[in-house]
Amino acid sequence: MPLTVQKTTARVKRHDRVARWVITLGGLVVIASVIAILVLIVGVAVPLFRSATIHELARGPLPPALKSADVLAIGIDLPAGNAAGAVHVLARDGAMSFLAVGDWSPLLRREIEPPAGSTARQVRAVERHNGWRYTLTWDDGSLSLVEVTSNAEFDAAGRRTTRWDLHTLAESAGEGDGVPELALMRHGPEGTIAVRLFAGGLLAVSRVVVTENLLGDQETSTSTQTIDVHDLDRITAMTADSTGRTLYIGNDAGCLARWVFDEEGAVQTREIVRAFPDRRAVTALAMVLGDISLAVGDDRGELTTWFTVRVGEKRALTRIHALAAHASVVREIVASTRNKSVWSLGELGTLHWDHMTSERNLLQLSGAQPLVQFGCAPQGHALVALDVTGQLTAWGCQAAHPEASWRTLFGRVHYEGYDEPAFTWQTTGGDDFEPKYSLVPLLFGTLKGTCYAMFFAVPLALFSAVYTAHFTTPAFKRTVKPVVEIMAAIPSVVIGFLVALWLAPLLERWIIAVFLSLLTMPAVFLAFMGIWQLLRRWDACRRVENGYEFLVLVPVLLVGAALAAAWAGWVESAVFDGSFSQWLYQNLGVRMDQRNALIIAFGLGFAVIPIVFSIAEDALSAVPHSLTAASMAVGASRWQTLWRIILPSASPGIFAGVMIGFGRAVGETMIVLMATGNTPLIDLSPFNGMRTLSANIAVEMPEAPVGGTLYRVLFLCAVILFILTFALNTTAEVVRQRLRKRFGRL
Amino acid sequence: MTPIRHGTRFWRQGEPLVWATGGTLAFVLLSTVLLIGVVLVHGLGVFWPSPVAEITLADGTRFHGQQVQTETHPGTGGVSVQFKTANRELDPQRLDFRWVAQEALHRLDYPADVMVVERLENGSFFGCLERVDAAGLDLPADVPVLEQLVAALTAVRSERAARIAPLAAQIQTLNRELQRVQDTLLRLRYRRQRSVEQPDAAADANATCDAAIARAAARQQELQARSDELGAEQRAVAAALRQATAVFRLPSGDTHNVAVADMVRVWQPNAMSVWAKCRHYAAKVWELLSDEPRESNTEGGLFPAIFGTVMLVFLMAITCFPLGVVAGVYLGEYAREGPLVKTVRIAVNNLAGVPSIVYGIFGLGFFVYGIGRLLDEWFYPHLVEANKMVFGTGGLLWASLTLGLLTVPVVIVSTEEAIRTIPQGVRASSLALGATKFQTLVRVLLPMSSPGIMTGFILAMARAAGEVAPLMITGVVKLAPTLPVDTQFPYFHPDRKFMHLGFHIFDIGFQSPNVEASKPMVFVTTFLLVLIVLVMSSVAIYLRNSMRRRFQSRDI
Repeated sequence: MPLTVQKTTARVKRHDRVARWVITLGGLVVIASVIAILVLIVGVAVPLFRSATIHELARGPLPPALKSADVLAIGIDLPAGNAAGAVHVLARDGAMSFLAVGDWSPLLRREIEPPAGSTARQVRAVERHNGWRYTLTWDDGSLSLVEVTSNAEFDAAGRRTTRWDLHTLAESAGEGDGVPELALMRHGPEGTIAVRLFAGGLLAVSRVVVTENLLGDQETSTSTQTIDVHDLDRITAMTADSTGRTLYIGNDAGCLARWVFDEEGAVQTREIVRAFPDRRAVTALAMVLGDISLAVGDDRGELTTWFTVRVGEKRALTRIHALAAHASVVREIVASTRNKSVWSLGELGTLHWDHMTSERNLLQLSGAQPLVQFGCAPQGHALVALDVTGQLTAWGCQAAHPEASWRTLFGRVHYEGYDEPAFTWQTTGGDDFEPKYSLVPLLFGTLKGTCYAMFFAVPLALFSAVYTAHFTTPAFKRTVKPVVEIMAAIPSVVIGFLVALWLAPLLERWIIAVFLSLLTMPAVFLAFMGIWQLLRRWDACRRVENGYEFLVLVPVLLVGAALAAAWAGWVESAVFDGSFSQWLYQNLGVRMDQRNALIIAFGLGFAVIPIVFSIAEDALSAVPHSLTAASMAVGASRWQTLWRIILPSASPGIFAGVMIGFGRAVGETMIVLMATGNTPLIDLSPFNGMRTLSANIAVEMPEAPVGGTLYRVLFLCAVILFILTFALNTTAEVVRQRLRKRFGRL
Repeated sequence: MTPIRHGTRFWRQGEPLVWATGGTLAFVLLSTVLLIGVVLVHGLGVFWPSPVAEITLADGTRFHGQQVQTETHPGTGGVSVQFKTANRELDPQRLDFRWVAQEALHRLDYPADVMVVERLENGSFFGCLERVDAAGLDLPADVPVLEQLVAALTAVRSERAARIAPLAAQIQTLNRELQRVQDTLLRLRYRRQRSVEQPDAAADANATCDAAIARAAARQQELQARSDELGAEQRAVAAALRQATAVFRLPSGDTHNVAVADMVRVWQPNAMSVWAKCRHYAAKVWELLSDEPRESNTEGGLFPAIFGTVMLVFLMAITCFPLGVVAGVYLGEYAREGPLVKTVRIAVNNLAGVPSIVYGIFGLGFFVYGIGRLLDEWFYPHLVEANKMVFGTGGLLWASLTLGLLTVPVVIVSTEEAIRTIPQGVRASSLALGATKFQTLVRVLLPMSSPGIMTGFILAMARAAGEVAPLMITGVVKLAPTLPVDTQFPYFHPDRKFMHLGFHIFDIGFQSPNVEASKPMVFVTTFLLVLIVLVMSSVAIYLRNSMRRRFQSRDI
């Protein structure tokens, strides 16, 4: 018998120990997961601000067949996965050599033939655009436009290989005018444009347009026009957009010129801007992806981007972004074909990688020896450069989110197509679209919605709580608390739906009545008070003042609302010419949306009232009864007791309630998603919609590619929301615990 | 005391301000009543067969319509009436609602023979039945047209059950088989691909693999052909069934044919007795609870959404309750009071205030793209290769885990509170009798605090049932082709997408092309959701109050 008891005790003790461990562990796991949530969402958002990484892939001298002085252009292709990449090198003799990344062994060699009838033997200069398109200027003045292509193929065993090739897209034979100083060609479905700039300030633009006539035959028409530009002499740089319709020129005295040709080739616009008052020379020009912005490099090493902005009636080329400056003359600019970033090479051989929108300097690369030539992969993940000693180096590089920076997220940015810097959130558009990730409109929308809601909810909730806690009967208090709790349980999707589809159209028509009721309800209330002070002489009426006042007031409020509704039509026709929304638009220029901030005030306010009410009511009820009794005993009225004694004691609790209500309104998603229209505006008007951080996440998340910039920016939105609500709630909680301690002592 | 002095004291003592606070309470209660009232009025009335009027306008136009609402313009005082006119395909803009100014209304008649036809497509149809053209069906000739139509409906339904249903079942079996074969094919191809990348793979293994691939591909083609064949047959039968039509006369004098096969049910609201209307109402409610949605969710039932909501809450409950109770017990009984525990308590209280969309984002980043993608890479590498996700995309499991995390603080707080409200004397007595801490917990404290813990459970479930935002990014869809539970092995598919009542409201209220026509359904769904949530919270509040009373009355 004693043995069993001992055994039992041992087992029980063991159970107890195990239970203690399990429960402690469980508790700690839950607490750890709290921290894990924050860590994870921050962890997803942080890579937004990570700078670019670069690692060397291969390094070695050029093959002996190629001389470094003869190299005119290089480019690199690095296919996805672990397939081998290739570097292509264009030499002065017009041969394109493809070299394997690694040991630079020759893979392929393609000779580029000069145009038919040309006597050229050597390539004088190369201009590049659009990744791997090269305009070759031959030594007799004829031009060739070639493109390097890369195609993925699968061999018989299913292995992935890449085939590189070279195509001649267009040619333009010289017409005996000599060798141009600068030349470029553009080729598209509309035709081909060749631009030559001759010494002395003559610009020859020749167009070859291929049209299809009614019979389906192709007709080729050629036209050449000469533009006199000697007033700009000496011209040092030239570029054009990918259609060739817009031509940009820079000279050695700080001028930028822009020509826009119409479809027939005639000059539509001609603009010359004194871009740099200090008359510095423009040394390099390139179009940023999208053909809107022009990147300009100068002899002071500065790199700027320009586009046309409306100035009065006209559009003028304006300096928009300044990117990180080089220590020396900018020699060449190459635009990325993936995003709005540009690569630039300085005279001293340092390479910069900058993103235009965010003005982030992603990378600065200065090799052991100054670099003279460079090229990058179209995907922007590989780079190749040739230095003065003939060493060819390939790097793998990565800048995952170059368009995000503190400046683009929280500052004013001058986006392409805008006339001035702005806070804008706009994430979807075409391939060469400039995404706009300003969180300011969202933060503004969040605060606007929350503040409107709090203006509506806080007075209602606090006054109701005061009445419930101190003026009503205990029996009613026991009923009203659960009713308010049930109100808190109504799903926000229900409130959002009712407010957006039922209340919003109603409010649109009765907006005047709503404003009027702000006058009629207090007026009717005051009138009723006047009557009441006579009525309360009767005991039967006086009994109402034992906590049934609100019941008597229900019909009073209804009368106020009815009066407002009855007069609304008259007021609208008398004061607002029959239509308030039109009057608003004509006189104040404010457009009235159906889903506006007032709707949000009602909807969100309705969601917040129960929360503020419960907490405030708890705080007011927690004030010890002895205080109230003492106050009443010395002759204070019930309002005086409340105002002088109870409110000061309960104020921390009330503050906590307001804070928690604020936190709830900040994060509420469904109501704002359904009732705001979700337009990211910055406008305080109560008649406009907004977009909040939380609704933004719900709207954009389904379309955000995993790991992309938008995805991470949305996680950043979540981090902001988390921190905001956490701060609000912590303040409230600390205040509440203080309060509890204070009344614990009483 | 003179009346005047009495009056000034009334104002001076701030009595009107007390009244003003009472006024705000009245306002809050009124708006709550209004909100619930709007849901009740709109939600309950949807299925009641309201009369269809034959409307004659002042200009002589005549049409059928159900009066929906009247509106007074506050500016002009003009009254306009909205009618549901149905017959969507006859309207040039495909609208089935129409606003008419009160002055333009000439007269409203309620002819007894107007019939409402609920159809599978194009909403409902209003018209007077003229005759039934059903050459293929054997219909009694010498009975009223209404009985003919009912007979035709029955005949078409039995025909459908006899001929289309078995075909549909066959196609379904075939499609399942097809899916299995496709899965096998993907697996084999993946294995083959892998062996290509590993040059030392045995050649004969490759050959067997190739042979298996060829076999599976052949089987796939064969199944596909068979499935296409059955599909064509099914379509042919359906087309034959659509031959039977009912001819309706419209008030304009035209006639219009409606295929009997398209009809769901017909009724003549103007001729129905109250009892018949009640039966109709009950039938519609049953359809709502048990049937699949039709016409992009604006008609038919809500069964998949109800089922999805229930499954979601159930899964959420079994993940979050144990964790929440353990953590609550730890905080209430085991944790030593100190700055750490104080911080933890604040943190837990705070978690309840973190916006639900943040939990949604966490669920997406951690469960779906973190754990889900990892599971896929381990168990379904062949599907990952083909860019198909099983767990790596939103689904029921991830959504319920996210909701579980969201509701854990509610359970923790209520458990801790329930345990702390138990008087210290109870613990002391139990320990004094020789019980260990664990025994005290399990035998005394937990049973005593169970109503409080239950309250937390129910409140958590109510919150989970009404929460939509986190679901929108973790796997809820507007129309799920399959339920998460079915007869296919392993019978329960937590990876599937699901439907949800709350999201249903958002979807049909805001993403539906015909907002006006979808309104009744949104209100019904709203009513159902509000009902579920309110019943759950009321039970929770009742439980909590009864527990409070128990401890207040007993002094240990």
